[in-house]
Amino acid sequence: MDHPVRRPQRNGWALSVVVGLLYVFLLTPIVIVILSAFNAGDYLRFPPQGFSLRWFVRFTESESFVRAFEFSLRLAVYVTLASTVLGTMGALFIVRYARRVRDTLRLLLIAPLQFPAILTGIALLIFFYATGIGTRGMRPLFIGHTLVTIPYVFLTVSTVLVTFDRSLEEAARSLGAGPFRAFWRITLPIIKGGIISGALFAFITSFDQFPISLLLISVGNTTLPIALFDYLRFSFEPTAAAVSTLSVLLSVGIVVVIQRLVGLESIYWGGPR
Amino acid sequence: MNRGRRFPWVVFLIIPIIVFLAIFFLIPYANMVYMSFLVKPETGAYLKVFTLGNYARALGDTFYWKVLRQTFWYSLVTTAVTLVAGYPLAYHIARAPKRWRGLFLIMLISPLLVSIIVRSFGWMILLGKVGIINTLVKRYGGPELPLMYNAFGVVVGLVHIYLPFMALSIAGALQTISPDIERAARSLGATPWRAFWRITWRLSLPGVFAGTLLVFVLAVSSYVIPILLGGNNVLVMPIVIVQMLLDAFNWPLGSALSMVLFGGTVALLWLYVKLMNQALRWTTR
Repeated sequence: MDHPVRRPQRNGWALSVVVGLLYVFLLTPIVIVILSAFNAGDYLRFPPQGFSLRWFVRFTESESFVRAFEFSLRLAVYVTLASTVLGTMGALFIVRYARRVRDTLRLLLIAPLQFPAILTGIALLIFFYATGIGTRGMRPLFIGHTLVTIPYVFLTVSTVLVTFDRSLEEAARSLGAGPFRAFWRITLPIIKGGIISGALFAFITSFDQFPISLLLISVGNTTLPIALFDYLRFSFEPTAAAVSTLSVLLSVGIVVVIQRLVGLESIYWGGPR
Repeated sequence: MNRGRRFPWVVFLIIPIIVFLAIFFLIPYANMVYMSFLVKPETGAYLKVFTLGNYARALGDTFYWKVLRQTFWYSLVTTAVTLVAGYPLAYHIARAPKRWRGLFLIMLISPLLVSIIVRSFGWMILLGKVGIINTLVKRYGGPELPLMYNAFGVVVGLVHIYLPFMALSIAGALQTISPDIERAARSLGATPWRAFWRITWRLSLPGVFAGTLLVFVLAVSSYVIPILLGGNNVLVMPIVIVQMLLDAFNWPLGSALSMVLFGGTVALLWLYVKLMNQALRWTTR
């Protein structure tokens, strides 16, 4: 809601100071990690002892980190593909065709976000063992991550779908386009932003996922957050900071792209009403 | 429009996802409930024999009660602190001029997209024994402060993780309130504080309500922060449950403990919703 009337700035500065400090609180740990990654010294000490890229070099030499990084990227790509297709289809159906069951279906699709991820991981672990699917390879992680990323795609895509003017598609249909052609030529280009944002959210959620991965990883199939976690429990070297910095940069890039495409509000302010 | 009585092919849009969620979400949870009623034999994972023994053990042991109480206590403190800190953030963002709002939202949301491990790591660098804060304090002659590997560190970490959720929930509610209403109250002679308290605060209660519920539920199930920032000194239910499953390999008891955590959380939330409803009815009278 935008209010064109200019508001008088009364006791605004006190609020600004408090809010400023809170933003400092929110961003400091992340900034500190990035600064530590460029620190030339051997330890994570303060003040930093000069600028260096040696910890990034050390990262590229660390086989376990590089492998975990690659594994996480690959996993995130597969997960993103699966949850984007499933979530978009689900959003199309729920926004357009589900009538009486709309609220039930919406609850079901968002449910993986509402249940504690660690409990979902435990439930999946037991289930995979009991059914013989096992927890080896990428498959269990793929399933677990897809589960928790579907809600993000569903929320972003349905946000753009509710504002979509269906008469455009109906016009295409009345001019002789088949349903698929109408979808491909009219609907898809318009909701593209929502789909891409949802996919990016899915990607970063999978890339950073921790609790589910913790329960479903197996030897040789370790994700980056898990590798980092294991590392941090026992040592405190700046290599971890370099790895973290790379993952932060990835996140920041994605945030900016999403903000450009649809705006971040769509996801965190409860999605479509 | 050609809505004939043809077969509704569009259901094929939703069938794959329903099948997926049924198999890999609903059934595993149902299976976990089932598992919590099975017997754990000496060797092997479980026996398909019905028992209430796991619940008896989970509820009969004072150790689990203590851990459960601690878990809820940390979550409660986290919720309270995020509410106090999140409200000004939310108010500020909801009232910010439109062209600035995007920037503030980015600052609020980007921490959410940074891995929880990375953020804990940042706090470890700040709060550790030879961390930045202690180094600075000692340089000016202060004592070494116990900031990490204790409850304090855990709560700081939890607040940091969940503050954006709280702020965004409240901002969502504040955004729908026109500042004109508050201004009208002011022009009728209300002090700024009174105008805020009687109008804005009350209208934002749904957001406060949603935010506190969300943060509490998330905090109860957090695992990474208590492990990394609590060291071995802070025990919460998720840690105990994961140990039970991965180290002790006791799935039935682990499942039962999960159910106890779940049930305890639901019970507390139910109580909270009841109290809130009463309070709301009372304030709107």
